Amino acid sequence: MPQQLRVVGQHVGKEAPLALTNKPYVKLEQITKSYGAHTVLRDVNLSVHSGGVLAIIGPSGSGKSTLLRCINYIEPPNKGIVTVGDVTIEGETPVSRRDLRALRSKLGMVFQSFNLFPHLTVLRNITLAQERVLGRTSAEAELIAMQLLTRVGLADKAAQYPSRCSGGQQQRIAIARALALDPKVMLFDEPTSALDPELGLEVLSVMRELATSGMTMIVVTHEMSFAENVSDHVAIMADGCILEYGPSREVIRNPQSARARQFLRAVNER
Amino acid sequence: MLYQLGLILRGLPWTILITAVSLLIGCILGYPIMLGRNARSLPVRLVSIAFISLIRAVPPLVWLFIIFFGVGTGAFSMSPLTAALIGLGLIAATNMAEIYRGGLISIHHGQWEAAQALNLGGAHTFRDVIAPQMFRVALPSSATYAIGLMKDTAIASTIGVPELAYQGARLTQETFQGLKVFGMVGLIYILLSLPIAWLSRRADLYLRAKVAR
Repeated sequence: MPQQLRVVGQHVGKEAPLALTNKPYVKLEQITKSYGAHTVLRDVNLSVHSGGVLAIIGPSGSGKSTLLRCINYIEPPNKGIVTVGDVTIEGETPVSRRDLRALRSKLGMVFQSFNLFPHLTVLRNITLAQERVLGRTSAEAELIAMQLLTRVGLADKAAQYPSRCSGGQQQRIAIARALALDPKVMLFDEPTSALDPELGLEVLSVMRELATSGMTMIVVTHEMSFAENVSDHVAIMADGCILEYGPSREVIRNPQSARARQFLRAVNER
Repeated sequence: MLYQLGLILRGLPWTILITAVSLLIGCILGYPIMLGRNARSLPVRLVSIAFISLIRAVPPLVWLFIIFFGVGTGAFSMSPLTAALIGLGLIAATNMAEIYRGGLISIHHGQWEAAQALNLGGAHTFRDVIAPQMFRVALPSSATYAIGLMKDTAIASTIGVPELAYQGARLTQETFQGLKVFGMVGLIYILLSLPIAWLSRRADLYLRAKVAR
């Protein structure tokens, strides 16, 4: 078996030196994003260490998703510096296609609306980018896809089309699709918000397993139990700013600002 | 009456030929025109929009006259069939370009974002992710357009292509039985449109069952 096939899902250790040097793997500095006169993000700073799991919570419209989408430049920030591993991109300067590819090659993304390719089978959804982007042969790509489908518990769906799968299954396939490109960091944009609680649970359990395996994760979510129990750090956002940031339990159980307390109270009362 | 029907049916191959070839030209040329219409470069976009508007603003009949009696009598002469194929082919191309564009617009932006996040790059994104979905969405409108185009081929009779309407007109001049003759002609057009509609419905149902969202 070729060497690269063995490392599927084994994200621990690859970036270990970085973790040891205590340098964050993902670093956002003074990220600012506005649409016309409407400012969505103001000077946001945030960092995540290799192997860390950060949950970003906060009310709707607080800029959580926009911040996440600024990390892989699906939404280019107007100002600020994004650093992921050895790639640094500054918001003011024109971004080269090479830098963008380098940045995105380290980041996998999972969307609220899954965004699977409806005209391709589940297997093809996962092999397409492996072949086109990483240049893997279709045999290699299929082997990896089947390993990942097994990992998310959906090996039997390989030949189906996404429309034949439930929302929870589609989201797990989307996770497998992102993992197939060996990302260093996984970005989750409200991965369970479009799912009923039961289907959300199967997605959360896959994410929990992923976190346990040492994957670096940034998760925008409304799932408080995930934020409290799975992530090691939590950031609370409101009005384009980070109100609170710190170890999960500390932030959730003992928020400092009035706005954060108000938000958490509303969450707990539901 | 069977004898008359036989005379009319001599136009059938011509009608089918013009429909098939100009539709083929339209389906193929429509694609680059649609790409130009959506190009990032403003000049390319403007030229494409101007081209589409120009072709579509002039009636098909007038285009055939311009091509056959205008261009065709000048430096290079052409047969009525060639003129009809060029005229109807260009008209079909601009219409197909707009049908493709409608399909393109209907694709959820999440598909582009997913492709971006996967680092697929512009060409692969379009070829592997967007275009297949675009063609699928465009299929029913394309079939409707194909039927319309088939009926429009009747105008080729005005420049002397011996297709169905041409045969009908000639026969009417000989027999003075206009209602009967053109009734048969009309019936043949109806019979021609049925398989197109049937095929497109079958294809649509098949794709819908496979890819339903």
